[in-house]
Amino acid sequence: MPNAQRYPFVAADSTLGEASLRPYSPLTLTYQGQTAVTAGVLDTGAAVNVLPFRIGVELGAVWEQQTTVLQLTGNLAQYEARLLLVSAIVVPFPSVRLAFAWTEAEHVPLLLGQVNFFLEFRVCFYRSQLAFEVTPKR
Amino acid sequence: MSTELTQLFPSLRELKRAEKLYVIQFLVSELAQEETPLIQSGIAYPVWSPYDAFDAAAIMIKALAETEVSGYA
Repeated sequence: MPNAQRYPFVAADSTLGEASLRPYSPLTLTYQGQTAVTAGVLDTGAAVNVLPFRIGVELGAVWEQQTTVLQLTGNLAQYEARLLLVSAIVVPFPSVRLAFAWTEAEHVPLLLGQVNFFLEFRVCFYRSQLAFEVTPKR
Repeated sequence: MSTELTQLFPSLRELKRAEKLYVIQFLVSELAQEETPLIQSGIAYPVWSPYDAFDAAAIMIKALAETEVSGYA
């Protein structure tokens, strides 16, 4: 893809071997002036973006102030989730707005899903080369 | 070559083309797993994807559209 940024797959847990290699994108999130530098798993099977509880706290978000409740599915269905809109930067591209389902779950990776990461970015996966490329759609 | 293997050949010869290719894929996969077990039994592989969370997706899309109109929240 032209003007794309290429990133490697990263091993999340070496004990899982090949199965642990995941497409992690570095991500800088900003919410009401607070910033969190983190990374998210590009998860095409995820209907929505998911923000782990600890990262919402790091951004200064207050759980009780987020009043839009969301129902997630699968293993996340057991945890309450609320809507959080943040500004996100995938270097070197301009900032975009991302909507997250901020989950009460702690031990979950930050997930970048169809709504709305894959609406904002075009992604090509080259799993056999342990790499992926990202470029903004606009 | 074992007797069992020799007895297999007539059956394999009668398979349709697609079935022969399937057998090849099966054997390649078996060999690959013997060398590097990609998925091992007894180990938990976490899957967190919120699959088919359509209601949540609709709410989030609506919220994004509303904040785009009103200015970023």
